[in-house]
Amino acid sequence: MSAQAALRTGAHGAPVRSAQTAVRRHPPLYRRRTLVAWGFALPFVLLFLTFTAGPVLMSLAMALTDLRSRDLRSPLAVDFVGLENVRAVLADPLFRKAAANTAYFVLVGVPLTLCLALAVATVLNSGITRLKTLFRVGYYMPVVTSIVAIAVVWRFLLHPDVGLVNEVLGWFGIDGPNWLESTTWAMPAMIAMATWRSIGTLIVIFLAGLQGVPASLHEAAALDGAGAWQRFRYITVPSLRPTILFGAVITGIGYVQFFEEPFVMTQGGPLNSTLSVAFQTYNQFGFGNYGYAAAMSYVLFVAVVLLTLLQFRLLGERDEPRRRRRRAARDIPEEVGP
Amino acid sequence: MRRTLRVGMAVLAVGALGLAGCGRSEGGGGAGAESPAEGVTEGAASGSIDVWAMGTEGEALADFAQGFTEENPDVEVKVTAVPWDAAHDKIATAIAGGQTPDVSMIGTTWMGEFASTDALDPTPDLIDSGSFFEGAWDTTNVAGTNYGVPWYVETRVLYYRTDLVPEAPTDWAGLTAMAEQAKAAGATYGINLQPGETGAWQTFMPFAWQAGARLVNDDATQFTLDTPEMVEALTYYQSFFSGGLAPTDLPQGDLEPGFMGGTIASFVSGPWHVGILRDLDEAGMADVALTPLPAGKQSASFIGGANLAVFKDSDNRDTAWKFVEWLSRPEVQVAWYQQVGDLPSVASAWDDPAIADDEYLGVFGTQMETAVAPPSIPTWEEVASVIDTELERLCKAGADPQEVATTIQQQATAIGTGL
Repeated sequence: MSAQAALRTGAHGAPVRSAQTAVRRHPPLYRRRTLVAWGFALPFVLLFLTFTAGPVLMSLAMALTDLRSRDLRSPLAVDFVGLENVRAVLADPLFRKAAANTAYFVLVGVPLTLCLALAVATVLNSGITRLKTLFRVGYYMPVVTSIVAIAVVWRFLLHPDVGLVNEVLGWFGIDGPNWLESTTWAMPAMIAMATWRSIGTLIVIFLAGLQGVPASLHEAAALDGAGAWQRFRYITVPSLRPTILFGAVITGIGYVQFFEEPFVMTQGGPLNSTLSVAFQTYNQFGFGNYGYAAAMSYVLFVAVVLLTLLQFRLLGERDEPRRRRRRAARDIPEEVGP
Repeated sequence: MRRTLRVGMAVLAVGALGLAGCGRSEGGGGAGAESPAEGVTEGAASGSIDVWAMGTEGEALADFAQGFTEENPDVEVKVTAVPWDAAHDKIATAIAGGQTPDVSMIGTTWMGEFASTDALDPTPDLIDSGSFFEGAWDTTNVAGTNYGVPWYVETRVLYYRTDLVPEAPTDWAGLTAMAEQAKAAGATYGINLQPGETGAWQTFMPFAWQAGARLVNDDATQFTLDTPEMVEALTYYQSFFSGGLAPTDLPQGDLEPGFMGGTIASFVSGPWHVGILRDLDEAGMADVALTPLPAGKQSASFIGGANLAVFKDSDNRDTAWKFVEWLSRPEVQVAWYQQVGDLPSVASAWDDPAIADDEYLGVFGTQMETAVAPPSIPTWEEVASVIDTELERLCKAGADPQEVATTIQQQATAIGTGL
């Protein structure tokens, strides 16, 4: 860092301590540079304020009022209700039901998706060499396919009498349920569908991560007598930790906002068993309860933040060295499974 | 970091101050009181008007409107086709932004919501209210004022298979007997009624109306959903599911093949099903017949369709109303039916041989006489979704009808009529 740059940063970051001297020494130059810098940044700042910050602040303001569809012509003539909307949201039995469903979906869906994606990526990375691209394209296909087309196909697959899923279950003597019309099985069907849809992106990310695991570590461990599973558990997974964290965070964010699957498949039914918070928010916006719906979406936003913080705590870098030390002290081959 | 926080706090504070400046004026919105309609000038229409229409109507209206421009050469009608899925939000956004078209097609159940924003123009005398079906005309009435006109209608009737049902049922006992008989004759299900989920209330409400139930009180300020009549209708509706006469978990898309294949003996639906069944199995139509819904204490069915409304902010209000009036003429309604298949909302149009001679349509015409519209209140869609959920509990989980009625009433009251 050059001296000039250091001076500038100092002038900007801590005005009280060093800026005064800097300003006194080169006042016109400093001011002009600031103006020019803002001039260059202006298009971005304006766009950001108009299309990003503005709507976000407005929706936040909306969440604090009792704005309804009838106020459309005079949106400022509404009452300020503070956190009343949030209180009403949290007391709403339908919202609680939706929150429980969403939690179920996230708690089962995220680990399942991560594990499956990691398993497939590992197999693709080591086992299969010839048709690697084909498989990669195959797994990525659902990500780029329209949800509408997927819904049609899945509805056929899950059909109780002629669907492929129950057909296959039938070979093993299992009488498959009426997936989409059963309060017990509709949610697992949604989870399966979401997993299938989002696994492709994760596989690509994990494959990239796996390329970065040093082969020398694997060789050294193999020489020391570690089996395939042990090498995966104690070399691949720890090396992939940042990649897994990234995968968990983006999957978590996507899954908390679980919407499309019930929207195209079940409309939240049967008996609200697949109603998600995002779907309920969508419904409330549709009913014209704008203030209430905005408050609901901010509750969902807080949930996303909390989940992400939790994931950083559980999977983040911070406590890695401590764990390694603890593990190194133990006899490695004795610990099996996660 | 501290500075960012301080700026953030300042922004929030300013925002809060701004909000504190808002507040509702006393007396509420424009739909609270009856508002008088202004007259429309006589003579030929002129200028240009923007018209929004959804679905098939949106695609066909531009060509069809040439009939109007031939009569009024100075007029230009610009039609914008809006997809149904996006229509509600698009109209709401237009109202919020003050960028409304002159005329728009509006779903009947949206009338209460949009009229209460004070964006719609009350219907002037130019329109003859007596020419429409009563139930259809009611859909335009919000808190005592009529906004717009019914454009086309649909209503629900009973579709049944003549090979499984020897005689069309005419009352509630007859309908149950028919379903039992058909089941004995080999059908898996005697009847299909929607057991909850979006729109189930449209199948159920006819039974409530037949039992004599009313959904709101006279001035639509309170719900009357927990009445003996409502419980009676709920009990009757539930009996088809608890008795195994109707399916609770029919997969989407299985109704039509099931009906044509003889596993489902009857179902309740609107006019669009004639076309769907015909496409599925033209020859099989020989076994299909339609009849008005069996009556309880009285005959009733659900009336749906779409209305045409003129917006208050219209720059060319007179021409807009003249265009709406033209679309409501009996001969134009018949021509419109011939073009897109929409059933006329004008009663006299049904006497035209094009409609009167159709073997299926006559039943809809008869049913229209007693068809009832749901209350035109701003919150109806939300209340309807509560009813859908509760019906699902009634039909699938076997909930007690009285308890269901109480819950519906409670939740509907919490939502309010919005007037």
